[in-house]
Amino acid sequence: MNSKSVVITSMILQMKQTFARNMFKYCMFIAPILSTIILGEMYRYAPQENFIAFVVLGSGLWNLWGAIAFSSAGDINRERYSNTLSMIFSAPVDFRLIWLGKIFGNTILSICSFFISVIFAMVLYRIPVQVYSWGLLTLAFALTIVSFIVISIFIAYLLTLSRRTTLFMNCLEFPFILICGFAFPVELLPNPIMYLSFIFPPTWAVKLLRSSIVADAPDYMHILVWLLATTIGFILLSSLLYKTIFRQVKIAGTLDMA
Amino acid sequence: MPIIEVKDLVRDYTITSGLVRRNKKTINAVRGISFSVERGEIFGLLGQNGAGKTTTIKMLITMLAPTSGTCKVLGYNTFGQEKMIRDKVNFIFGGEYGLYRRLSARDNLKYFANLYKVPLDTRDKYIDELLEMVGLSDRADTRVETFSKGMTQRVQIARGLINNPEVLFLDEPTVGLDPLGAETLRGIVKEANKRGTTILLTTHNMYEADELCNRIAIIKDGVFLDLDTPANIKARSDTKTTLEITLTKNPLNIATISGVSHVASSEKDGLTSLRVSCQSDNAISQVLAVIEPTTIKSFKNEVATLEDAYIQLVKGASE
Repeated sequence: MNSKSVVITSMILQMKQTFARNMFKYCMFIAPILSTIILGEMYRYAPQENFIAFVVLGSGLWNLWGAIAFSSAGDINRERYSNTLSMIFSAPVDFRLIWLGKIFGNTILSICSFFISVIFAMVLYRIPVQVYSWGLLTLAFALTIVSFIVISIFIAYLLTLSRRTTLFMNCLEFPFILICGFAFPVELLPNPIMYLSFIFPPTWAVKLLRSSIVADAPDYMHILVWLLATTIGFILLSSLLYKTIFRQVKIAGTLDMA
Repeated sequence: MPIIEVKDLVRDYTITSGLVRRNKKTINAVRGISFSVERGEIFGLLGQNGAGKTTTIKMLITMLAPTSGTCKVLGYNTFGQEKMIRDKVNFIFGGEYGLYRRLSARDNLKYFANLYKVPLDTRDKYIDELLEMVGLSDRADTRVETFSKGMTQRVQIARGLINNPEVLFLDEPTVGLDPLGAETLRGIVKEANKRGTTILLTTHNMYEADELCNRIAIIKDGVFLDLDTPANIKARSDTKTTLEITLTKNPLNIATISGVSHVASSEKDGLTSLRVSCQSDNAISQVLAVIEPTTIKSFKNEVATLEDAYIQLVKGASE
């Protein structure tokens, strides 16, 4: 049985499971509309460039983040309560492949919520489609997805260590939205928090997306390098921590609720 | 070489409490148990809730690290050599959890077949056979969340057999099953064992343990109280005969009779049911003398059961 098959079957299972949950349907269809209205009203009188960057893209990213990272963290909790976390952890195939498949499943569904936000913002606030480079935007979007997946995997690994997952996942959603610049530029944050935000790939992903829609795509390459560097950094960190984390999971016995 | 080898196995848990001042407390779940299981054997672990049975199984299935001691399955350490073990073993936990409830029984089995590296060319046929064996062929494509407890448990059994394991661990597999379902499960366990699967089973059901197990270990507070064949454990028990009596009035002084080791009583519909464990013929005579003045509705005497031996061992350890 090859790795690809494990990833694909885990992805399909995740999509079937997730789509059957009413809460996810809310996150996918209703939450994007609500967050778009909140950001839209905040930026109603802002220049059009800011409106596209922080309302159209901002609400899309807000929901993309919520659906990918928040759902993936929530899945650790759900699987722990349903006792399937210990089942898949003790299976012969690599747990990392199973979880990668699950995050891919969440990602595919979450992309829908991104587009719902974007389309809703453009229709509601009658924003004309103005993109400097569709090529750069597509590349930025693809890398954004990759960076979100990478950080979701990192968070999911960490959350296997504790049974207090619900608390941690609730603590994660909004701080990331705030410090990674989804709703406003990170330059407005106090310096220590701004520098902290530069560690996380989503901060650079947001900057890259914004850069690709404005004229001349300023700093695109510079931001791209930082996005790739931080993403690769988190991939390496996750790989290095994997063995330690999962050794600790077996020592602490946090895979199930018993 | 034994299939399962456990020596001086210890497992401690640290639990924390308190919001501001965090207090740490160590729970000694398993305290230095040793045993081995040979290929083809059915080995039973009996004990009360919290005795350490599930913790022992979790260590054996590579889910939990031992604090100290040796814990080997198929010759490999369960902590550190997990990869060598996982595709050759499987486990079933009692209860309704451990499945993807929003998926059908078949989808669950297909997914776990994939995780257990079951070859694709034989997978679907084998899943059909398993569904047939657990009597769920006609509900195979229905979501598990619509199933009764017993049906869910039967899917769990099929999942546990998905990789045709060399060693199968069963943790209270008949919990919540009706008598017919429990009997079906016992049949499946016997059949799997006949095909060569070594089985380690925990249960509260003494009849089940007596019927299935070649050897039994009785565990209390993480320590073994006894380990032997069911016949030898029963033979060592002080109880020779158990009387089951239904009376119109409860004779209160039975427990004080010399040679009576245990009395369990219950009241229903104005009648008293007694289960009296007697150590000698003299004790039986005295019990009969005490109950003579009351109206006896039913009377049954039987040789000591595993339950009698178990109660005696566990109560003795408590005292």
